[in-house]
Amino acid sequence: MAGPYNGVRVVDTTGLAGAYATRLFAGLGAEVIRLEPPHGSPLRTLAPFAESIEPPENSLWWAYLGMGTQSVVVDPDDGDALAQILSEADVVFEDRLPEQSPIAADLLPDTAIRTTIVPFGLTGPKRSWKTSNLVSWAASGVLYATGFQDRVPVAPAGHLQLALHASAASALVGTLLALRARRTSGTGQEVEISMHEAALMFAPETGVPVFLDDRVHRERSGNRRDLGRPFGLYPCSDGFVSIIVLMPRHWNAMAEWVAETTGNETIMEEVFQDLGVRMESQDLIDTWVEELTVGRTRLELFTEGQRRGIPITPVNTVSALVDDPHLLAAQFWSKTQLPNDVEVTVPGAPFRTNSDWWNITPAPLLGQHTETYLG
Amino acid sequence: MSNTTSQLPLDGIRVFELGIAIASPFCGRLMAHFGADVIKIESQLSPDVVRIMGSAWVRERDDLAAAAPDTSPYVPEMNASKRSVGLELKTDAGRDAALRLIAECDVFLANFGARALAELGLDYESVAAINPNIVYVQLPGFGSDPAMPYYPFVAWGPNQAPLVGLDDFTGHAADPPAGIATVAPPDYMSALHATIATLSGLEQREMTGEGVHVDISQFETTLALLGPFVMDYDLTGTVHSRIGNHSLWGAPQGVYPCAGHERWVAITATDTESWAALSSLMGTSGNEFDEADHRMAHREELDRLISDWTSGFDAHDLAHRLQNAGVAAHVVSTNEDLLHDTHTMSRNWYQVAPHSRLGRDLFSGCAVKLSDTPGRWTDAGPSMGQHTREVLSDVAGMSDNEVSELVAANGAFEQIEPETLVSRPWNDWIHLFLPGVDDARDL
Repeated sequence: MAGPYNGVRVVDTTGLAGAYATRLFAGLGAEVIRLEPPHGSPLRTLAPFAESIEPPENSLWWAYLGMGTQSVVVDPDDGDALAQILSEADVVFEDRLPEQSPIAADLLPDTAIRTTIVPFGLTGPKRSWKTSNLVSWAASGVLYATGFQDRVPVAPAGHLQLALHASAASALVGTLLALRARRTSGTGQEVEISMHEAALMFAPETGVPVFLDDRVHRERSGNRRDLGRPFGLYPCSDGFVSIIVLMPRHWNAMAEWVAETTGNETIMEEVFQDLGVRMESQDLIDTWVEELTVGRTRLELFTEGQRRGIPITPVNTVSALVDDPHLLAAQFWSKTQLPNDVEVTVPGAPFRTNSDWWNITPAPLLGQHTETYLG
Repeated sequence: MSNTTSQLPLDGIRVFELGIAIASPFCGRLMAHFGADVIKIESQLSPDVVRIMGSAWVRERDDLAAAAPDTSPYVPEMNASKRSVGLELKTDAGRDAALRLIAECDVFLANFGARALAELGLDYESVAAINPNIVYVQLPGFGSDPAMPYYPFVAWGPNQAPLVGLDDFTGHAADPPAGIATVAPPDYMSALHATIATLSGLEQREMTGEGVHVDISQFETTLALLGPFVMDYDLTGTVHSRIGNHSLWGAPQGVYPCAGHERWVAITATDTESWAALSSLMGTSGNEFDEADHRMAHREELDRLISDWTSGFDAHDLAHRLQNAGVAAHVVSTNEDLLHDTHTMSRNWYQVAPHSRLGRDLFSGCAVKLSDTPGRWTDAGPSMGQHTREVLSDVAGMSDNEVSELVAANGAFEQIEPETLVSRPWNDWIHLFLPGVDDARDL
C-alpha cells in the first residue's frame, strides 16, 4: 500500500524546527507543501553546500530535509494565494507566535490541525524568548552536564541540531494524535510544542525529579563515568571505542580478553571482580584496558569484543558509518538526486515495515510546484 | 475499551509493552498519556532497570526493601499512567497468560533484543498468528533480521550514542570526543519514532483493517539525523567532526563564563540582527565584526572578546538582558537552576499523580500539548505487579482462581507487601511545584 498518510495535505511554513517532522510525514505518504518566501526557505542557506550547484539549490540541509515535499512560493503580502493554499489543508506547521503569524484563524478550515513549534511555548515568562539548538540544550540541563570537567560545557552533537529535531519529532507525534482524534470529533485542534520542553523531555537524567531524589549535581565527567570500569571511551589505533562493563559476566569476559591478548595475568585476579575494587583502582584498570585497545582498530575491537559478549561499540565517524558492514549488508543507505542530477548517499527509511510505507522523492527546486497549486 | 467517557486520541487502544529502560517505555508512556491502556509486562527474574535502581533515600532501609522497586524517580519518568502486570514469560504458564493478553491488544511494543524476543516465541510471526491485525512495533539495537552481521550483538544504553556517531560530534575540536552518555538522545529519538510508527500503524489499520510489523533498528533510526553530513562525505570526502559549540552557519555562538563558580551563559547571535543587538550591548558596534564573514573567520578572537564581557555578569541577569535585546541566550542551567525556574513551573511542566506506594509522586510532563484532547496522568506509578490480577481478569478473562494458580506456579506475581507505604522525604512540599495550588490537600 501507499504510505498510511496518503491523502493528508500538510502545509509547512517552518524552518529547521519543523523540517524533520514534515520530511517524515512526506515519507509516510502525506502531501507536504512547503511554503517558501520568494527568496527561499531559511533551510536553503545552511551549510554544508554542494559545490557545483548555485544558490538557492545548493544546501545539503535543504536537499535532505526538503525531500518528499512540494515547493510553493507565496509572497508574504499575497493574501489570496495564502488563502487558496490553506483552504484545503489538513495540517499546518508553524514556528511563530500567533501574533507574528500571517495565518489568520479564518484562513483554515475547522477540520485543520494547527501545529505550532516555538522556543519556550505559548505561555509563561519566557514566551517571547528566542532559542537555538545550543540555547535549548543550555535551558534543559543537558549542556551543563556534557563535556570535560576543566573545559567549557558542550552541546551534544552540535552539528546535528538534535534539540530541533526532537521538537520536530514531538510535533509530528502531536499532529498524528490530533489526526486520530479528528476521526471521532470531526474537527481539528491546536498542537503546541515548546522546544525547551522537547529538550527537557529528553533529559530526565538531569531533571528535577531525579535531582530531588539523589541531590547529586550532575557535573561533567568527560567521556568516562564513575559508574563502573571500564566505562566510557578508550583510545584505539583509528579512534575510540566505547566499553560499558557493569555486569559480572561482562567483567569476566573483559578480563579474560585483556589477559589473553596482553599477557596480563593480574587482571584475572578474583579481587577485581568486585566493582568497588575496580573503582578504587580505576586508573590501573583503564591502563590495562588501553593496553588491549591502543594497537587495534575500532572494527576489530567491536567484532571481537561483541563475539565475547562484551558491550563494546566503535565511536563512529560519518566515514566509518557509511562503510559499516552491517549497514551495507542491511542495505540501509539510500540515494537521492541533486538538482544537477548527481546521485548522493542519504540515510534510508528510519524504520522498516512489512507493508510498503516509505517513499520519498528528491527535494524540490524553489517554486517547483507553485504553478501546480496556484496556477 | 478502558474508558468510554473521554475523547482522548488513543481511547480504546490497548498496548502490550515489553519494555526496558527508555526506548519502548517512553513510547508507551506517551501513548498512556493520550488515553491508551498500556500494560507493562514486568519480570522479577530479570526486572526492568528502573526497578533495580530504586531510590537514594530507601537504599539503606532494609525494612522498605519490598517498596524499593516502586521508588525510583525513573519509574514515573518512563512509566506513568501504565498498568503493571507481573508475568514470567520464560515459564509456560506465564507465556500462555501473555498470549491471552496479546489476543486482546491493539499494539505490541517491545525493546527486548530481537533474539530474546524470538526465544520467548514472541517474534512478529508468532504474535500475528494469535492476533493477525496487531500493530507490532519492536526496537532492537540492530534490527530483527538474523541474517544481518550485528544481529546477535549486545546493545547497551550508553553505547548507542557513540555507535551512531553522536560522541564524535561532541566536544571541542582539540579534545578527545566527549561522552554524551549522561543523557541518551538516541533512546528518546527512537521512542519518538516508535510512537510515530505506532500511530501510522493504527492509521493503516483504520483504513485497511490490516496490522503491520514495524522493525525499528535503533542503529538505523538515529542515523536519519546525520543526513547532510553523510551527503557531504559522499560528495567531497569531508568527514565532519566536533567543533565545540561553534556553528557552521555563523558566529558568534558559544558558551561563555559568567561571575561565580561554573556559571555560564549560552549565546547564539549569528544573524545580522542578533549580532547588532549583542554588539550594541557590549558597546563594540561599528567595527569589522559587523561583517558576518569576518566574525566567522575570527570566531576564536570574537569568543575571547565576548568572554571578557560576560565574565563580569551574573548569568541569569545577563540572559535576561540578552533576551530583552532580542538575542537567543540562556543560563547553562544546572539541575538546581531547573528547580527554581519559574517559567518551567508556570507551564506545569512538573506533574503530580496518585501512587499506590507513595501516596502521590512528582514527575516530568509531556512536551506534546493538544488543545482539545489534552493527555492526562492517571497514576504516577505503577507499582511492580500492581495490576496483575485486575488485568488478567478484565482483559484476559481469567477467573480469580486461575490467577491465584498462575501466581502459585510462579508464572505471575502480584505487588509485594501492598500494605508497606512510604512517603518521599519531600512529599510535604510537592505542591510547590504546581502553580495555583496553595494547599497540599487540594491534591
